[in-house]
Amino acid sequence: MAKKLGKKARKFANKHLQGGAKRSRKLRSQFNRRTRKDGKGREDGGRLDGDGDEEMRRSEPTMNTQEDVATLANSLEFPEDENEFDGDLSDSDGYLSEDPECPHYSDSEDGDVVKDCIVKDGLDGQNNEMNLAVKKQKKKLKKLLDKDPEFANFLGKWESELVSHESDEDSDEQDEMDSGDDGVDAGDKNPPSDKILTSKTISEWCQLVSKDPKAPALRNLLNAFRDACRFGLHSNSLSTQRLQSTEVFYQIITFILSEADNIFRSLLDIPDDDKGKLMNLRNGQKWQDVEPLIKSYLRNCLDLLSQLTDNQILTNVLTRLRASAVYFSAYPSTSRRLLKILVHFWASGDQSLSLSSFLMIREVVSLLPDCLDLCLTKGYNTYLSSSKLVDNRNIKNIDLFMNCLVELYSLDVQKSSERAATSVGQLSAILRQVSKSKEKEDLLKIDNWQYINCINLWVRFICVNYKDCHNVHSLLSSVAQIIRGVAYLLPGMRYLPLRLKLAQMLNELLNCNQMFFPVPSLIFGCLEFREIFQKEQTEKTNIHFSSLLKVPRNLLKSRDFQEQCILSAIEVLSAHFAQWSYHVAFPEVATIPLILLKRLHEQTTIDSLHRPLKRLIDQVSENRDFVQRKREVVSFSPNDMSSVESFLEDEKMSGNASFTQYYESVSKNRQSRGRKFV
Amino acid sequence: MGKSSKKKNKVILAPPLPPELDEDDIVVSDDDVEFVEKNPQQARNLADLDKDAIDGFLKRIADHDDDKVELLYEERERKRRAAEALKPRNGDDIEVDPVDALPVKTLDGKVVYRPAKKARSGDEANGVKSRSEEKGDGATQGSQKEPKGRSSKKEASKLQNLQSPTEVPKENLHSVVLEEVKEELSSDELFEKKKAQLAELGMALLEDPESNIRSLNDLLILCNDMDQKVVKLGIMSLLAVFRDIIPSYRIRQLTEKELAVEVSKEVKKTRYYEYTLIRSYKAYLQKLISLEKQPYFYLVAVRCLCSLLDAAPHFNFRESLLASVVKNLSSSNDVARKLCCEAIRSLFRNEGKHRGEATIEAVRLIAAHVKLHDCQLHPDSIEVCLSLKFDEDLGKDDSKEDKLKPKKNKRYQNRDVAKPSEKKKIKKEMLSKARQEVRADLRAVSFTLDPKEKKMIQRETLAALFETYFRILKHSMNNSRYKATSVFPGGSHPLLAPCLEGLGKFSHLIDLDFMSELIACLKKLSGYTDHQGEIPPDNALSVSERLQCCIVAFKVWRNNLEALNVDLQDFFVQLYNLILEYRPDRDHGEVLADALKTLLWEGKQQDMLRAAAFIKRLATFALSFGSAEAISALITLKHLLQKNTKCRNMLENDAGGGSLSSLVAKYDPEAKDPYLSGALATVLWELSLLQKHYDPSVSGMASNVLSMANLNATQNPVQLSSANPLEAYKDLSMGLELSKPAGKVLTLKCKRKRRSKEFVALSPDVLQKADCTVGEDELREKLQSHFAVLRGISENERLRTELNHTLSSINMYKEYKKQKKQSKKSKTGRKKVTRS
Repeated sequence: MAKKLGKKARKFANKHLQGGAKRSRKLRSQFNRRTRKDGKGREDGGRLDGDGDEEMRRSEPTMNTQEDVATLANSLEFPEDENEFDGDLSDSDGYLSEDPECPHYSDSEDGDVVKDCIVKDGLDGQNNEMNLAVKKQKKKLKKLLDKDPEFANFLGKWESELVSHESDEDSDEQDEMDSGDDGVDAGDKNPPSDKILTSKTISEWCQLVSKDPKAPALRNLLNAFRDACRFGLHSNSLSTQRLQSTEVFYQIITFILSEADNIFRSLLDIPDDDKGKLMNLRNGQKWQDVEPLIKSYLRNCLDLLSQLTDNQILTNVLTRLRASAVYFSAYPSTSRRLLKILVHFWASGDQSLSLSSFLMIREVVSLLPDCLDLCLTKGYNTYLSSSKLVDNRNIKNIDLFMNCLVELYSLDVQKSSERAATSVGQLSAILRQVSKSKEKEDLLKIDNWQYINCINLWVRFICVNYKDCHNVHSLLSSVAQIIRGVAYLLPGMRYLPLRLKLAQMLNELLNCNQMFFPVPSLIFGCLEFREIFQKEQTEKTNIHFSSLLKVPRNLLKSRDFQEQCILSAIEVLSAHFAQWSYHVAFPEVATIPLILLKRLHEQTTIDSLHRPLKRLIDQVSENRDFVQRKREVVSFSPNDMSSVESFLEDEKMSGNASFTQYYESVSKNRQSRGRKFV
Repeated sequence: MGKSSKKKNKVILAPPLPPELDEDDIVVSDDDVEFVEKNPQQARNLADLDKDAIDGFLKRIADHDDDKVELLYEERERKRRAAEALKPRNGDDIEVDPVDALPVKTLDGKVVYRPAKKARSGDEANGVKSRSEEKGDGATQGSQKEPKGRSSKKEASKLQNLQSPTEVPKENLHSVVLEEVKEELSSDELFEKKKAQLAELGMALLEDPESNIRSLNDLLILCNDMDQKVVKLGIMSLLAVFRDIIPSYRIRQLTEKELAVEVSKEVKKTRYYEYTLIRSYKAYLQKLISLEKQPYFYLVAVRCLCSLLDAAPHFNFRESLLASVVKNLSSSNDVARKLCCEAIRSLFRNEGKHRGEATIEAVRLIAAHVKLHDCQLHPDSIEVCLSLKFDEDLGKDDSKEDKLKPKKNKRYQNRDVAKPSEKKKIKKEMLSKARQEVRADLRAVSFTLDPKEKKMIQRETLAALFETYFRILKHSMNNSRYKATSVFPGGSHPLLAPCLEGLGKFSHLIDLDFMSELIACLKKLSGYTDHQGEIPPDNALSVSERLQCCIVAFKVWRNNLEALNVDLQDFFVQLYNLILEYRPDRDHGEVLADALKTLLWEGKQQDMLRAAAFIKRLATFALSFGSAEAISALITLKHLLQKNTKCRNMLENDAGGGSLSSLVAKYDPEAKDPYLSGALATVLWELSLLQKHYDPSVSGMASNVLSMANLNATQNPVQLSSANPLEAYKDLSMGLELSKPAGKVLTLKCKRKRRSKEFVALSPDVLQKADCTVGEDELREKLQSHFAVLRGISENERLRTELNHTLSSINMYKEYKKQKKQSKKSKTGRKKVTRS
C-alpha cells in the first residue's frame, strides 16, 4: 500500500514539480523501467525452481538451434519471479494505541513554522499564488451564498453526495489495497491523536523513553515516527497535520533510528550480537508484548526508505537499521520488500550506499535463507545490466558490485554453483555460436563488457570457492576454455587490452588451482612493438586500459598505447612468474619470455619503459639462477612428483625470495595506479 | 512475306493461332512490306514474333484513344518478353539439326557433312550444355514467364478479333501513325528494338550457321553501338554464338598454292564460311580486348574472354585470348581474378581439349608476366599452377627422349620452311598439323611417339613453371631487405607462399641439376647465414615462410629418393632457431607442426647431440605456448626419445650428465647451434610442470613421456595416440575445440554447504568504509530539507483540492439556478394545470 501511495506522491511531483528533486525522478524512472523489464522476465518464468531447470535444459549442447542460441545471447539474465507477497506486516499501518497520560505541550513555537522554511523551491511561490486564488474564489462563493441563501442548502446536499460517492470509491480502493488501514483506525479504541507535535513534546518523550524504555511514551514516539515516515503520503491525513516543523521531523527520525534497536533489546532482555536468542524468544511472552512495536518500527522504516532520495541519509538510515536486521527475520514478506528496495540501492547508489545496502542484504539473507534466491537472481541481473557500459567513472562501482555479488553467491556454494554452471553454459553456447559463424555482428556478442564482466564474475567466484566445492572444479575448466576461446576469436593488436584482461583472469584462476597454463603466449603480441608514429608523441592521450576492450585505431601506434601495453604485460608476466617462481622448472618457464623481453629492452624507443623492463629481466634472471643453483644439488628426477612438489617448499612458505617481493611491489604499483585513474 | 512469317511461326512453337489469323496475316503482311521498304538492310533480320507484336500494337494504336494506348504499350511489352522467353528454347530445339550438320574435316582436308539424323557428338553436346549454362538464368526465367506471355497473347488476339472488322477502312491512317510513332521511339524503345534484333540474329546464327554466317558481321556492328547496354548484350550474344559454332578443329590459313587450286563449289562454300568465321572471331576478340580497358565493360569482357578460353582453347587466336586472361590473373578486381583463375585451372585440368598446347603457352605467359612485374603480383596468379598435372614418370627416362627430340625437331624444320611466322607459332602449328595431317605417317613409324610428344610438352611446361618458381625464389632472396608497400596480401613477397607450395607439390619432378641450386636458395631464404651470428632482425620473410622453405627442402630431398648428397644440416639449425621465433597469433601453427612432422617426426635417426638439443628446445617450447603447439612438440619429442634411446638420460637427474655429457658443459637455452647447446647435460624438468598442464591431453602426454625413464632402452611406453604432430595440432586447435559439443558440468555434493560469516571477496578496508556515518549537522540539514519538500508538496496538494472544490461550488451555482428555473416553470405549469 505504501508503495502505491508513494507512487501517488511521485505522480504528483512529476505533474506539478518542475524544478525539484530531479535526482529522485531519475532514480525512480530507472526503477520503474527495471520493474517493467522484470515483469517481462516473469512472463517467461514461472516458478523459480522450474526456471532453473529450464535454464539447465537450454544450456545443454543438444539445443544448439539458432533460435535457442539467439535467446541465450539476448538474455544472459536469470528469469525473475516477481510475485508480491501480501504478508504479515502489511495488515496494519503500524498505529499503536497511545497512553493519553503522556504530556503534550501546546504549540508555543508557531513562529518556527514560517521561519524554518529554509528550503526555497518552486513550490513556495506556487503555493502562495494558489493561496490567493483560493481566497479570491472563496469570496466569490460567499457573495453568491449571501445573495441566495437557498443555494447554501443545495450546495450542502451536493457536497454530502460527493463525499459519500468519494468514500465509496475510496473504500473500494482501500479494500483492494489494504483492508486493514481504515479498519485499524476505526476499530481502535483510542483514535489517533490529532494534536500537533511540538519540539518540546518530542524532547520530553525522548527523555522519558531514554530513562525507561518501558515508558508509555515509547508508543507515542513510535506513532510520531510513523507519521514522520509517512509524511506527505496522504495529503490530508492526520500525520501531515501533526507535523508542522522540520525540527520536529528531524528529532523524531534521528531519535528513533539511533535508539530503537537498544530500546527493543532492553525490552526483550537480549544482549547485543546474540541472534540465536532472539529466535528462541519468538514464542515468549516478552516477544508478544514488544512485537507490535517492532512491527510498527520496521514497517515505517521501509516507508522511510522508499521515500528518501538522498544517498547520504539513506546510507545513514541503513547503517542504523542494520543493527535491527535480526528482527526482519520474523517477517519474511516484509524482508522481501526490503530486499527489493535494497537491491535497487545496491545497484544504483554510490559506493557507500551500495556497500551498506549490500551489507544489509547479506545480513538479512543470512538470517532468512529463503530470500537468497531472490537476491541472487536480482543481484545477478542487476550486475549484468549495470555492467553493459564501462568507463573510467563506474569501473570501481562495477568492481565493488561484483565483489559483493561474489560474497552473496558464496553464502551458499551448492546453490550458487548450479547457477554459475547455468550461466557459464550460456556463455559457452554463445561462444560456440560465434565461432561457427565468425561474422562481425556475431563477434559483438562476445566483444562487449557484459560478456567479459560476466566471465570475470565467475572467475572471481571460482577463485573464492575453489577449495570448498567440487562443482567449482568442473566450472573452472569450462571457464578457462571460454577465456581461451575469446582470445582466439578476437585476435589482433586492437584487442590487446581485452587480452590482458583475459590473461589476468587466467592468472587468477590458475593461482587457485595450481595448474599450469602458458599465460605468456596470450600476450606475446605486446612484446612485439617496433614502430611508433613519431607524429603523435606531442599529443598526450590518456589511455586507461581498465575501461577499454578495444583500442581505437588512431591510438594503435601511439606511444601511450604501447607504453600501457607493455606495462600491463609486465604485470601479467610477473604474476605468471610469481606463480611458478619456486618450481623446479622455472628456468625453462622463463626462457622464451626472457628472450623476448631482452630483445624488447634493447629495441624499444620509449625511454620510460627501460627501467621497468630491466627490473623484470633482472629479477627473473636472478630467480632463474637461484632455482638453477638449488636444483643442481637435488637428486630426484622429473618424474618424482612428490619430490618436485616439495622442492623449495620452505622458501615458498617464507616468501622471502626476491621475486616474491618484486611481484608484491608490482601489484602494489598497479593498485596505486588504478586509484589514480578513478 | 506473309508466307514466310507464317512458316516461321510454325518453327518457333507459336501459341495456337486464332481462327481469324489468315485475315490478320494479310493485314500484317502489308505493314511488313512498308516496313521492309524503309529498312531494307534489317528487313531480313526482322523475325516474325516481334513484328507481330509491333504491328498488332500499331494497328491498335490507330483505333484507340490515348489512355488505351498506354495499356497496349504494356501489352506489347509483355508480348515481347514472352517472345524473348521463347527464344532460347527455340534455339535449343532447332539447334539439333544444324549442329549435327556441322562439317567434319577429314585428314586430307576435305570437309564432310554428317547425315542430319546422326546422334550428337560429344563436342556438340558440350557446346549445347555450356551454352545453356551460359544462358541459364535467362532461360529459366523465360520459361517461367512463358505461360503468362501466352495468355496475354491470347488476350491480345481476342482484342484483335474484336477490332478486325473496323480495321480495313482505316488502313491509310495506319501508315501515317506508323511514321509518327517511329519518330517518337524513345531510346528505351530503340534499346528494346536492338535487343530484339540481337536475339534474332543470334537465333538465326544458331539455327543455321552455314547460311547465316554473314550475320556475325551485323552482330559485330551492333557491338559498336552508342548504347553501352546494347554493346554489353551484343558481346554476350556473340559469346553465346561463338561458343556454339566454333568448330572442334583449328582453321588453317590457306597457302597460296592451295588457293590457286581449283576447288569444288562445296569446298568454296566451306572456305568462305571458315574465312568469315575467323575474321569475325578476330574482330570480336579485338573488340573484347579493347573493351576490357574500359572500366564499364571490364567485367563483362573478362567474363567473355574466360568463357571463350574455356570453350575453345583449341581454336585460332588462342594466344591473344590467353594473354589477356593471364594478364588479368592478378587483377585487383576479385571477381575478375576468380574468373580468370578458374578459366586457367580448367585449361590445365582439361588438357584433352587442346592436347596440352594451351597449357604450355599459359605457363609461359605466366612466367613472362611474373618476370615483367618483378614478382609483385597477386598470389593467385601463381597458385593456379598448382592445378597442373604431370605424369609421374616424367622426369625419369629422359635419356631416351633426348635422343628422339632432335630428330623430331629436324623433321619439323624440314616441313615448315615455307611458313613465314615466328618460331613459336611454327612449332605450335606444326604440332597441330602433326596431329591432323601426319598421323598416318607417325603411326607407321612408331606408336610410342604420341605419348612422347605429350611428354615433351609436359617437360617444357615444367621447365617454364620452374623458371617462374626460381625467379620468385631469387627475387625473394635478392630483395629480402627491400620492403615494398605491396597491394597484394602476403607482405613484400606475395608470390613466395604459393611458389613454395608449388615447389613442394612438384618437388619430385625437379631436375637433379637444379637440385643443389634450389637447396642453396632455400637455405638462404630460410634465413641461414654463413657466419653463425645474428639473424638479421629485419629479414623480410616471415617465420611461416621460412619454415615452409625448410619443409620444401626436405620434401624435395625426400621425393628424390633421398639419394642426393645434400647436406640438410643447415635446415635443422634453422628449425632449431625458428622454434624460438614462433608467435602464436602472428604465425601459422600448422606450418610449424608441419615442419616438426617433416623434419623431425618423419626423418631418419638423428644424431644424438642434435636430437638432444631438439628435445630440450621442444620441451621449453611446450611450456610457453598453447596446448595445440605443446602437444605437437611433445609428440615430436617423444618420437625423438624413442628413436634416440640414449637421450632418455635427460629424463633422469643424473648428476653431471653422466658419461654422455658433451664438450659443452653448461646448457645455453638460447644457443643458435644445436651442437653447441649442451642440451645433453640437462634434465627435462619441463615435463614435471607440463604434467600440471590444464589440458588433460598435454599433461597425459607429459606423463607418458616421463614414464619412459623407467623403461629399458628397447621398451617403449604405451602408445597414447598414433597421430603425427600435424594431426595432433589440428585436433587441439581452438577452432576445432569450439566446434565440439560442450562438456556437461557435473554436479556433486559440496563438502561444506554453507559458509560462515566471514567475508571472502571484499577486502576489510572496503568494509570499514561502509560504516562511516554522515555528520550530524549535515544529516539534520538534509532531513529537514527533505521534510520541507514533502511539506511543500502536501501543502500544494491541499490548496489545489481546496481551490478545485471552491471553483466547482461556484459552478454549481449555475446548475442551481437552472434547477430553480425549471422548478419554477414546472410549478407555474402545475399551477396552470391546476388552474385550468
